Amino acid sequence: MMMDNDDNKFDQWLQDAAKTYNAPPGPAPREAMWAQIQVERALGARRVVVRRSWVRWGLAAAAVLLVGIGIGRGTMVPERDTTGNALVYQLAATQYLSRTETFLTGFRADLRAGRVDAFPGQARDLLATTRLLLDSPAADDPRMQALLEDLELVLVQISQMEAGRDRRNADLITQDMDQRNVLPKLRSAIPAGPVPVRTQGAT
Amino acid sequence: MDERDLINRVRAGDDSAERALYDAHVDRVYRLAYRLAGDEALAQDFTQETFIRAFEKLDTFRGDSALSTWLHTITTTVVLNGLRKVKRFHRREADLEAADGVSGGRRESEPDLKVRMRDAIDALPQGYRTVFVMHDIEGFTHEEIGVALGVETGTSKAQLSRARAKLRESLADFRGEWIA
Repeated sequence: MMMDNDDNKFDQWLQDAAKTYNAPPGPAPREAMWAQIQVERALGARRVVVRRSWVRWGLAAAAVLLVGIGIGRGTMVPERDTTGNALVYQLAATQYLSRTETFLTGFRADLRAGRVDAFPGQARDLLATTRLLLDSPAADDPRMQALLEDLELVLVQISQMEAGRDRRNADLITQDMDQRNVLPKLRSAIPAGPVPVRTQGAT
Repeated sequence: MDERDLINRVRAGDDSAERALYDAHVDRVYRLAYRLAGDEALAQDFTQETFIRAFEKLDTFRGDSALSTWLHTITTTVVLNGLRKVKRFHRREADLEAADGVSGGRRESEPDLKVRMRDAIDALPQGYRTVFVMHDIEGFTHEEIGVALGVETGTSKAQLSRARAKLRESLADFRGEWIA
């Protein structure tokens, strides 16, 4: 009986005292969380679409690779330390870097001529691919990862430009690109040949 | 508005209904996430993830339980899985600190009830802690906890009883306060 009474008192005391445990400091930040939910859902939907095109792109890259290997059979073999998967990612990364280099070069040139309207949309497409590559084995190389992160930043800024009304921001973006040496780094990361193969017997 | 109507409107793609559903439940979901995570950023992440999943899976909600119960099931799943990942990360960090000879200091030496209470609850096994937080702190019933955690009501009751017994041992120093 005494024990039961003690238990009840303890349970009551515990419930009161435990109210301080991980007590939220204030009300739920509704608006901030709602905004983030909308962003995540929009990105999620786009990722699905992009992932489908990524799969097509990957298959196309693999097909190109197989044709290349078929043609070169007997005289050409893949690098000894590079797996088939890595080659596909490498090829995909090379294609992406080439497209981005063309895009950014065009962006700078058209900016001088005052034509920037089409760029935010294209930047968003490239941005989606950038993020996929950041999540792929292509980003295992720290230099590639750093370059992709720089490109992500630039592409985010361009994708957020308002068509025809953002000349000042565009200038800031190009200044930022110059400071980070984005284009020279991008150009030096694009290999001379699209498929990394080596002549049999070469060292 | 009737909850069933609200759900049907969300399923039909009505954005304002989504917001209404969110507004009706976000406070409780956030509070539960915060109580279990003990961190503002994590609580926000878990709350967001809960609603993202809920909107994605609303078509699978059959209405066998209240929508709030279904949402709390998602919340506890998201939080407990998320905390496992965080725990693994912290364990790696602690290993690195130990390797560097860095010490975080001992909480046990702190005499304050609030701190001792936190440490004692944190030290409970995950299942006991979850049931204790949901029942004794957030006021969920054993039936609601059973549905949310996918366990029998009796299991929830038993875990609460064991959690209280362990806390009674851990907080024996404060006996004077509850027998007063």
